Amino acid sequence: MTRQLTDRPAAAAGTVASDRRRGRWSARTRRDFIVFLALALPNLALIAVFTYLPLINNMYYSTLDWTLGSASATVVGFDNYINFFTSADAPKVLGTTAVFTLVTVGGSMVLGLLVALALNSEVRGTTFARSAVFAPYVLSGVGVGLVWLFIFDPGYGVLSWLLRGIGQQSPQWINDPQLSLVMVIVVYIWKNLGYCAVVYLAGLQSLPQDVMEAASLDGASGFRRFVSMAIPLLSPTTFFLLITTMLSSLQAFDLIRIMTPLGNGTSTLIYEAYLQAFGAFNRAGYSASISVVLFAILLVITVLQVRFVERKVHYS
Amino acid sequence: MARNLDRRHFLGLAGAGAGAAALAACGGPSTGGGTAGSGAADIDFSGVKPASSIDFWTNHPGKSQDVEKAIIEKFQAKYPEIKVNLVTAGANYEEIAQKFQTSQAAKSALPGLVVLSDVWWFRYYTNGNIIPLDSLIKQLDIKVDDFQKSLVADYKYADKQWALPYGRSTPLFYYNKDHFKAAGLPDRAPKTWQEFGEWAPKLKAASGAQYAYIYPALAGYAGWTLQNMLWGWGGSWSNEWTMNCDSAESVAALQWAQDSIYKDKWAGVSSKEAADDFSAGITSATIASTGSLLGVLKSAKFNVGVGFLPGGPKNETGVCPTGGAGLGIPSGVSKEVQLAAATFLKFMTEPENTAAFSAATGYMPSRTSADMSAVLSKTPQIKTAIDQLAVTRVQDNARVFLPGADQEMAKAAAKILTQQGDVKATMTELKGTLEGIYTKDVKPKLKS
Repeated sequence: MTRQLTDRPAAAAGTVASDRRRGRWSARTRRDFIVFLALALPNLALIAVFTYLPLINNMYYSTLDWTLGSASATVVGFDNYINFFTSADAPKVLGTTAVFTLVTVGGSMVLGLLVALALNSEVRGTTFARSAVFAPYVLSGVGVGLVWLFIFDPGYGVLSWLLRGIGQQSPQWINDPQLSLVMVIVVYIWKNLGYCAVVYLAGLQSLPQDVMEAASLDGASGFRRFVSMAIPLLSPTTFFLLITTMLSSLQAFDLIRIMTPLGNGTSTLIYEAYLQAFGAFNRAGYSASISVVLFAILLVITVLQVRFVERKVHYS
Repeated sequence: MARNLDRRHFLGLAGAGAGAAALAACGGPSTGGGTAGSGAADIDFSGVKPASSIDFWTNHPGKSQDVEKAIIEKFQAKYPEIKVNLVTAGANYEEIAQKFQTSQAAKSALPGLVVLSDVWWFRYYTNGNIIPLDSLIKQLDIKVDDFQKSLVADYKYADKQWALPYGRSTPLFYYNKDHFKAAGLPDRAPKTWQEFGEWAPKLKAASGAQYAYIYPALAGYAGWTLQNMLWGWGGSWSNEWTMNCDSAESVAALQWAQDSIYKDKWAGVSSKEAADDFSAGITSATIASTGSLLGVLKSAKFNVGVGFLPGGPKNETGVCPTGGAGLGIPSGVSKEVQLAAATFLKFMTEPENTAAFSAATGYMPSRTSADMSAVLSKTPQIKTAIDQLAVTRVQDNARVFLPGADQEMAKAAAKILTQQGDVKATMTELKGTLEGIYTKDVKPKLKS
C-alpha cells in the first residue's frame, strides 16, 4: 500500500511527461495551465506595460535629439551616448554616483549591523528602540529632506545654532557642492539605516544557537564568535542587503531632489537624467540615454553580484 | 501539425508579445521633421464660441492663491458661462514648467491658461507650445497700450505677442532700518556697491547680525539678481547672442562679490531664501524680488526699508532686471478653449484686478491705469518698486533664452561665492557651456 502511494506521483509524472512528448495534455494539466494563466497573465501584462514597455520606449527615445515638449525629434543614433561620455559632466556624474552608492551602501550596512547587534540584546526598551530605528525608513523622503534641510541650514538651522554655541561658524552645507553630497549621504544613511538593522536583526535571531553556544563552551570570545561565526552565517543576509541597498541607492531620488534641487555636487546618474529632461534643459533624448546607461550599470552589477558574490555566501 | 504550449514557450511568447506591443506603442515625438514655433501663424477666432470650462495652471506667485480665487469669483459672476478651474500646477516656475512640458509630451490634460516665467516662455515658443495672442488681443479688444511697455515687450518675438504680463517683479534692495540707524548710516539704500562696501563693516559691527549683506540663494535665480552687479561693473552674461561673461568687467564684478565674503568677511550666501534670512534678522540687507515684499513686511520684527538696486563703478543706474511671470495660452488645446482662456486672461489683467493682485503680493501692477492709491497708502514700499520700473533693463539673452543657463550660472556662482573658485577660470568655463547650449539648443530654432 505504502509502495503504491509512493509510486503514484511518479507514475503520474511519467504519464504527463509522456503525454507532453506525444503532444497531448491531460485534463488535469490543462486545468493547471488555465489556473496558471489566470494567475500569471495579469501580472505579466502589468510588468509588460509598466516595466518593459517604458524600458523599450526609453531605449528608442535615447536615439533621438528630442526636446521635451516638442512634437518633433531627429533620429541621431548613438550621438546622445557619445555626447554624454565625452561631456565634462560625465566624470562628475559617474563619480558622484559611485561615491554616493558606495558610501550609502557601506554606511547603511555597517551601521545597520552594529545597531542590530545592539538591538539583539534583551534589555528594557528594546522594542521601543527597534521601532525608533526603523521609523525613518517608512517616513516620506520629502518630509525627511525638509526637516533635515532645516537642521543643516547655515543661517538658522539647529546644527548652526549648536556650532555657534561653541564659537564655530556653520559650514555651507547647502551651497558647497562637496558638503551638499556629504549632507545628502548622511541623511540617506540615517533614513535607510533602520531597514538594514531590521533585516540584520532577523538574521542574528535566526543564527543556530547550539553552534554559537558550542563555540562559547570551546572558549571563543564574543568578538571571535562574531567575526568567525556570526558574520559568515549572516552572509545570505549580507548578500540580500547588498543587492537591495545598492539598487535602492542607485535609484535614490527624493532626498536629492528636495535637499539639492540644482543637483550641484549631488547629481547622480538618475538625478542627472531627471535634470536633463525635466529640469531646465528639456533634453529628453539625452536624458533617456543616461537612463539606459544607468540600466546597463544596474544590470551588470546585479549579474556580477549573483554570479560571483553569491559564491561566497554561506547558506547553511 | 499540433504544437505544444509549455510554460517556457508561453513565457517566450508573452515576452515577444510585450516587446512587439512596446515597439508598436513607441509613439513619442514625430521624427519626420517639424518647425520651431509652429503656432506662429495668426489664428482666426471668428465664429468660435468660448468653451464652457478651462483650467488655469498657476504656482500662485507671491502666495497669491487667495487673490487668484477672488478674481476668479468675480470673473464667474461676470461670465457665468465660462467656468475657470484654479489648478495648483507647482510650487514655483520650474515645477509648473515641468508639468506643462510633460503634458505636452503626453499630449493630454493641457490647461487653457498657464503661468510662464521669464526663462520659460521662449522655450514654449520654440517648441510651438503656445499661440501668438495678437488675433485674440484684437478680437477681445485687450488694451495692450495700457500695459507697462517694458513688461509687454518682454514677450514679443518675431513681431508677435506670445504672452501678457501677470506676476511681474524686479529685484529690490531690502535693508534693516534699525541696523542702519545703529550704525549711523543714512536711511536709504546705497547708491553703489562701493558705497555699501564702506558701510558694511560699520553695519556688521553695530548690528550684531551674522552678515551685513546676504547674496540671494544660488538655487533661487542667482543668474537673475547677479545681473545687477555685472551691469554695474559694465559686464553681463551676454551681449545679444555673444557670451561675454568672462569679460574683464564681469570678472571684476564677481571678484568684488567674492572678496566681500572671503576677504572683507561682511557678506554671506543664502542657503534657501534670502528674504527669509533677512526677515529673521540674520543679515542687515539683501536683494530679493518685489514679490517677497509683503511677506517680508509681515514677518520682519523690525523696520524694513526698500530701495533701488545699487549701481557699480561703471553704471549707477539702469542696473535692475525685470523678471517674474506672464500668462500664455497653449497651442495644444481647442480654439474654443483658447478663446475662453483669452477672455479670462483679459479679465485677470484688467486694471482693478492687477491692482488687487499687486496689493496682495507686492508684484508690480502691469497696467499703467491701475489705481494704486489705496494699495500705496497701505503699503507705501510698493511705490519704490513701481518707480524702479523706469530704470529697469531687459535681461541678458543668455539668462532668459538659453535652456538651463540659469542653472549653469548658479553653479558658476556657487563655485565663486561658496568655494572661493578662481573667478576668471570659472567664468571662462561658463562661457563655453553657454555657447554650447546656444549652438545646440537655440541657434537652430531662431528665426533668421
